[in-house]
Amino acid sequence: MKKCLATILAGILVLALVAGCSSTPQSSSKEPAKESQASQASQAPASQAPAAQTKDTYRVAYIARAQADSFAAWLANAIRDEAAKYDNIKLDVFDGEANDEKENSLIENAITNKYDLIIVQPNNGEAQRPYVEKILQAGIFAITTNARIDNIPGSSSVDANPYEQAAVNARLALEQIPQNAKVVVLNGPSGNFHADARRESWQKEFFDKRPDVTIVGEQIANWNKDEAMKYMEDWVQSNDQIDAVISMNDNMAAGALEVVKDNPKFDNLLVYGVDGTAEALLLIKEGRMTATCMQSAYDLATLLLDTANKLLTGQEKEINVDIDNPLITKDNVDQYIEILKKAGAL
Amino acid sequence: MKQLGLKWQQFRKKYNIYLVLIVLFLICSVINPNFLSITNLSNISRQLAVTTILAFGATILIIGGMLDLSAGSVLALSGVLSVSCYKSTESLLLSFLVGVAVGIFCNLINAVMVASFHTPPFIATLAMLTMARGAALLYTKGQNILQLGNYVVFGQGSIFGIPTPIIFLVLILIITWYTLRHTRFGRSMYAIGGNEETAIASGISVKKMKYIAYAINGAFVGLSGVLFMSRVNAGLPNGAVNYEFQALTAAIIGGTSFSGGIGTASGTLAGAFIVGFLDNIMNLAGVDSYVQQIVRGAIIALAVIYDIGIKNHWKPLSKVSKAAS
Repeated sequence: MKKCLATILAGILVLALVAGCSSTPQSSSKEPAKESQASQASQAPASQAPAAQTKDTYRVAYIARAQADSFAAWLANAIRDEAAKYDNIKLDVFDGEANDEKENSLIENAITNKYDLIIVQPNNGEAQRPYVEKILQAGIFAITTNARIDNIPGSSSVDANPYEQAAVNARLALEQIPQNAKVVVLNGPSGNFHADARRESWQKEFFDKRPDVTIVGEQIANWNKDEAMKYMEDWVQSNDQIDAVISMNDNMAAGALEVVKDNPKFDNLLVYGVDGTAEALLLIKEGRMTATCMQSAYDLATLLLDTANKLLTGQEKEINVDIDNPLITKDNVDQYIEILKKAGAL
Repeated sequence: MKQLGLKWQQFRKKYNIYLVLIVLFLICSVINPNFLSITNLSNISRQLAVTTILAFGATILIIGGMLDLSAGSVLALSGVLSVSCYKSTESLLLSFLVGVAVGIFCNLINAVMVASFHTPPFIATLAMLTMARGAALLYTKGQNILQLGNYVVFGQGSIFGIPTPIIFLVLILIITWYTLRHTRFGRSMYAIGGNEETAIASGISVKKMKYIAYAINGAFVGLSGVLFMSRVNAGLPNGAVNYEFQALTAAIIGGTSFSGGIGTASGTLAGAFIVGFLDNIMNLAGVDSYVQQIVRGAIIALAVIYDIGIKNHWKPLSKVSKAAS
């Protein structure tokens, strides 16, 4: 009896697997049978451009690349708050947990759940590209953000430009960093699009133009304050002279500053970051941090919901727009502190 | 002469890991003169304080046949709640106690799962790992808590010129050493870890001892949370990810055995510093991130293989009884 049951169950399992595997050749072999069958169904009306429908409430899915790092969390919170202002939009947020496979599964689930519009914040643009294409093929609006995925006909995008975010700092550094300076560099996670683009920008806009500057330490601190602190402590130990800290984000820059805050030898240390976090703005106001570039999650959220609303109500068919990359220094930091205070972040 | 050789072998068997530590120290001093300065050694100790305190908690648990995979996450949760308490009450004492209390509370939940419901510690603490991290992120909405003011005194202050993290480290070292060597609880841990059935048969109330073990671990984790947040001058809900593995590494290199019943506080300290010296010398020498990871893993494996080899006179493990180690 037991053996009979086991054989029948095994047979059903095999049938399910075979049915799954024989569907869309595009689907990776790791996908469970159910999901590939769903995507096959949604691919049937091939290349159906999304069309606006008149509805009372539109369901929008926001698929975040992660919610654990503070910028991604800020963005997710800002999008939620912004969506609450729209009566005709009901928003659901999903967490990709900084994992490509997880994010791709969430995109497929959102398609199956027939959302009207899906916003995707890619973990890795190329990994999510085929899945965003699936969204469009299912007749659902798609917006990619932070960072946009280029060249997907029919999809919209709202972005900040990580190359520019670093470049505005680098151009200032060209004037400020002294001749023959010794600098240290703090990088974001390896393979991360923003981390890579910002580093590339510093290379082209600064290091290539200033061959007199020496990098005495460069490590990956994974956007984290405590990891940056450890590296800075060791660098201070092994180098007589450090003139500047070039960081790909504000958290790591703040970590480096934490180490030298009571050390008079570093009173003139130049420190550059990106993001415009509350901590960075306060440090710039105190005169300890030199500059950062605001990556306003509030602006991204406002633009995203505005774009979503325009697409869903048929005002536009495709929108591609950027937020600004303002450089923040001691001269203009007060107005940004005001913005954060108004939003309750300070 | 043969007597001397035998004595050396016995000495090596007992103190091998400290020899490895001393040799590593000497090698590092030669590679980079900056290594030997008081500032650098003080830096290393401050950097290691948090993970080593976690490692002491891990040592007590592993000796007793248990485990705590939730250390990093519970550290983050206790830390952010402690910081938040300080921001509302401006009381250093209260926020310190809140940190420790949250650590104990989460670990008592671990104890309920492990001791009362007989859940394997790996699973129970893995569950707590995700729960605690989720709770920390939920409480802070994923954002860092800033402007800690005087709270930093825990991790950045000093008493009579000695940095506070080092004072805490030494304090917890002494507590762990004394607990393991000179209390009934400590002896019970060795007994329970060595053979739980025999321990029950000899009248040890195993369940109670397990609760105490997790409570002590919880206090250590909570304290680490306070130290960590005050050192980075922010309440970081994402902080200390994977710290439990660093704690386990220090304990294992220091001679604590996963099979239970074996381990010492000083061994764990040595294990922590071996990894600490290694990381430090690689940073001072400007070794690339990726290479550092490879080297760190390789040295850890080699240190443990060497240590086990010395203990078993390099005989194949199948021929050596557990009692010999």
